[in-house]
Amino acid sequence: MTRASLLLGATLAAVCVASGETPSPVVDARTPGQKLYGRHCLSCHQADGGGVPNMQPAIAGGTWVTGDAKALALFVMTGGFDSAGRKESENGNVMPPFRQLPDADLAQILTFIREKFGAGAAPVSEAEVAAARAGLPPG
Amino acid sequence: MRPTLPLKLVSALLAASLAGTALADVTLKLPPGFTATVVQEGLGAGRHLVVGANGDVYLASRNGLVALRDSNGDGTLDKTEPFGEVKGTEVRLFKDWLYVSDDVGVYRYPLKKGELAPKGARETVVAGFPRERQHADKTFALDPKGTLYVNVGAPSNSCQIKDREEGSLGQNPCPILEKYGGVWVFDGTKTNQTPANGRRFATGMRNAVALEWNTSQGALYSVIHGRDSIDTLFPALYTAEDNATRQAEEFHQITDGGNYGWPYTFFDTKLGKRVVAPEYGGDGKKLADAGKYPDPLVAFPAHWAPNDLLFYAGKNFPAKYQDGAFIAFHGSWNRAPEPQAGYKVVFQPMKGGKPDGAYETFADGFAGEIKDNNPRNAEYRPVGLAIAPDGSLYIADSQKGRIWHVTYQK
Repeated sequence: MTRASLLLGATLAAVCVASGETPSPVVDARTPGQKLYGRHCLSCHQADGGGVPNMQPAIAGGTWVTGDAKALALFVMTGGFDSAGRKESENGNVMPPFRQLPDADLAQILTFIREKFGAGAAPVSEAEVAAARAGLPPG
Repeated sequence: MRPTLPLKLVSALLAASLAGTALADVTLKLPPGFTATVVQEGLGAGRHLVVGANGDVYLASRNGLVALRDSNGDGTLDKTEPFGEVKGTEVRLFKDWLYVSDDVGVYRYPLKKGELAPKGARETVVAGFPRERQHADKTFALDPKGTLYVNVGAPSNSCQIKDREEGSLGQNPCPILEKYGGVWVFDGTKTNQTPANGRRFATGMRNAVALEWNTSQGALYSVIHGRDSIDTLFPALYTAEDNATRQAEEFHQITDGGNYGWPYTFFDTKLGKRVVAPEYGGDGKKLADAGKYPDPLVAFPAHWAPNDLLFYAGKNFPAKYQDGAFIAFHGSWNRAPEPQAGYKVVFQPMKGGKPDGAYETFADGFAGEIKDNNPRNAEYRPVGLAIAPDGSLYIADSQKGRIWHVTYQK
């Protein structure tokens, strides 16, 4: 360890102590898919995939996460039900489209939710997301 | 359709719960001298409630209306009568009428002396609000003249061109404000009105579920639900921790012609100032034009979900509670992944219609341990408040339809 990094470590520790926090090494053991789920999906569908009553639906155990990978990729890229369908929905909030995310990120997210909430449904590849995207109207 | 409740089951559950044996339970934490008693349970997704001059209680719920009475003087609301066909949030008494609402209208039932559930026909006061899914509850307040103030919540998070879509900018001017996002005023004594008969009283209010006429001040007040998701919509500007903490639930006196700043701004609890919303050119610190929108009387923490407001004017509680505000916070969902918060009844001391000192937790412990940090796993969530003629307080829950009766003894 260099003198500079020691100094930096000491400074960080001092800052942490000064702010009343205990310095501890932070290890983020989450998979890339879990991190991306946390970033884009968790606040609505929650950490357990259980959704929020009257607000956003549960995804855990549902047909979308256990079913066809391409259908799931299309759903996530196009967002929730159209307004006519939503009038019959129990849930207040509409799901926005996530087509702005790259294929690789979507593949990671979909793989994560299928594994965690879809009873170990098969992973989704970047190629499968790309194939689903090819069927989307331009926009 | 007439709502049906498994009353035998309700009675059994209630007996078990009162005996403290069968149900996993929570114990409410209250200030010294106060006691909370479970007086009924199993009434569905409870919302607001009101107490009549004879002590009868009326609960609005998403499953329908229920009238409740302590028929044998044992302190519980042992007699329950579901009635009517209105599934919604608000219920109030005005003269000889019971006013209720659902997502599209406000109605009233004549209430005759001695009747528990009203037997007379329902009248429509105003109906025809557009059917929405988001922020649809038409809560309302009535002043002593019968003026009806209706909360018409905005079916939107922040009036983006594309609702809740990352990076989507705000519509300017926000067209939603023409028909939503404010309080509309009607003559509450007239029937068969449409929204066109109303007048926009105040605007810039995302969802003012907790709306209350303050009799001692002769003025309208609300604690308004603030916006969601600043982090996921504008990740370059805000972190998840910012989203969990910064957008205040704003407590305001609502005045005729008032504008409370949604969707263009929000009150930032970290800066202690009103900022421009990111959809409208905000950069995380750009302040709103000075004086354009009022600062809140109190900035409550983000996402606590203020669902009912009540000004204490009873005789049971100690003097410090007089004219102060009780607020039922339903509890958060959009704080995730940060720990959920709210799920409590707060007391804000008031004097002359203004805050008089810091707010304090009045009743807590409703939620129990929230498994997986998911609101659906909360045991109970406070949603409605009402004062009884003797000055005691009722609190309604939305998870299991429980009602507590809170009394004070020196």
